[in-house]
Amino acid sequence: MRRRLPGFLLAAPAWAWLAIFFVAPVGMVVWFSFGYKPSIFATQATDKLSFDRYAEVLSPTFFATFQNTLWVGVAGTVLCFLIGLPVAYWMAVKAPPSRRGLLVALVMVPFWTNFLVRTIGWQVILSPEGWISTALQTVGFEPLAILNTRGAVLLGVVYNYLPLMILPLFVAFDRVNGPLREASKDLGAGKWTTFFRITLPLAQPGIIAGVLLVFIPLMGDYITATVLGGAKGNMVGQLVASQFQTAQNWALGSAMAVVLIIVILLTVAIGAGIVWLVTLPIRASHRLVIGAPDTAPASVSIREEVAA
Amino acid sequence: MSAPAAQRPVRRPRKAWSDVAFNVWGILVMVFLFAPIAVIIVSSFNVGRLLVSWDHFGFDSFLALLAKPAIRDAVWISVQTGFIAALVATALGTLAGIAMARHPGKWVWWFMGLLLLVSVTPEIVDAVALLPWTVFLGQDLGMSIFNDGIVRLVIGHSLFSITVVSYLVRARLVGQEAQLEEASADLYATPTRTFRKVTLPLAMPAVFAGFMLSFTFSLDNTVIAAFVSVSGSTPWPVYVLSALRSGLKPEIAAVSTIMLVLTLIALGLVALVLKRSGDSAADIARTMGGG
Repeated sequence: MRRRLPGFLLAAPAWAWLAIFFVAPVGMVVWFSFGYKPSIFATQATDKLSFDRYAEVLSPTFFATFQNTLWVGVAGTVLCFLIGLPVAYWMAVKAPPSRRGLLVALVMVPFWTNFLVRTIGWQVILSPEGWISTALQTVGFEPLAILNTRGAVLLGVVYNYLPLMILPLFVAFDRVNGPLREASKDLGAGKWTTFFRITLPLAQPGIIAGVLLVFIPLMGDYITATVLGGAKGNMVGQLVASQFQTAQNWALGSAMAVVLIIVILLTVAIGAGIVWLVTLPIRASHRLVIGAPDTAPASVSIREEVAA
Repeated sequence: MSAPAAQRPVRRPRKAWSDVAFNVWGILVMVFLFAPIAVIIVSSFNVGRLLVSWDHFGFDSFLALLAKPAIRDAVWISVQTGFIAALVATALGTLAGIAMARHPGKWVWWFMGLLLLVSVTPEIVDAVALLPWTVFLGQDLGMSIFNDGIVRLVIGHSLFSITVVSYLVRARLVGQEAQLEEASADLYATPTRTFRKVTLPLAMPAVFAGFMLSFTFSLDNTVIAAFVSVSGSTPWPVYVLSALRSGLKPEIAAVSTIMLVLTLIALGLVALVLKRSGDSAADIARTMGGG
């Protein structure tokens, strides 16, 4: 129709903006990470390039923080999944449809309250002078000493990222809900069989989205660890920040940021690999069941939808 | 007479224990989600020197806001930044979303890849990358506009929002046929006129939702703001972050309560607009969750 201007030029401003303010600065950080800190007063220099900063990042001092972050990241994501899955299922399947909008809104309110402020709310709750601690003391316990530990950080991140798990899972379950599950019941499948054979496989995209939405920002978390973690709950995000703000060693901080991204990508890849391997026998056994004449049509159609 | 005994004969069919367990779990998690928010709201009515220790009830912290220009300035900077960042993100994201939906091609994959990259990069990486970059642009290249606090904040806050708006607008338009635009062209409307009178109104609910989301994202942004902000234009979350080190006062809870109410109003508006344009609860959840 229109020959004068190709339509994709509409996206040109966004391309340009992201190229200048995302690709270029992140590229600069990658470039810095091969440099070094020449003197106390300079932040970085790149006249001699080397992998020395990466060696420094992997030294025991910093490596411990990476291990800690990975532990919190994996444990936090698993907890979010275990806590969020029943909630999402409840919202999409068990709760009366008229209440669904309200429940979604309720999950969103904390999601849209200032991140920092809700974390401070936990600091107030967990503080040794707080209500819970005072209540514990009147019953004869020690004052609460969870603040400034890894446990507090784990609680904080589970709290902060839980809505990001619940919402995609809810959307996924909401889509599955209905005819297919009824068909499964009509064909004689029990509650658990229906859940594990129909609902869960079909909710797979939502599960993947939820796990990624929680895991990726969690690994880069800076605020929760700063507010609740203290010295014991140190995370890589803080380490990177301190290299840029206080230590003024941009080369080392850049290398840490790059390693953080690599660790995130590797963990996601390994996690995907493990899930693939673990479900391999299950998928294989399901494939055998498809051969049975009575369930064949339903299973085939489901398989097609999973593929689509 | 005892009420339970009287009810027993007309008892409704017994609920399965699993349903009860789901209800209990769901409600417990909701309580968990609201606990710290409730604590902050209660704390904002605390009259005392520190946020953590409860003294007695009163409105002093709200009144104290009137006497503290630093807090007012910080909130005002945040609101200004949020508005400009949302405008930028909505403009760029809407154009990009329309281009993706209406002019598909190989480039869309590249562009989506870039958007994906932006949305999965941890905020702290954006933050440490933008700090030297803005210094480079502003001081080494002498583009003094990048030394301005609000400009820096807007740039930092717009990145993620652009991806969200693009996804939203694209999703909206992909779901609707391009026939209307074709009809408009057949009726001799110029491309610009078609764009203004047909495409844009079609995309409007997504554009509006994108704007509101971008605004709240920007208000919420602490990490990037902490790195790129310059003294003199400290946004609200960075103010709170620095107050964290010097001791939290009830005023901070008071402002948070006010901002929570404002955010709720904004989100209510978004939900209303989406509902009017025919979205179900799940659609709204998908939109608000950023795709």
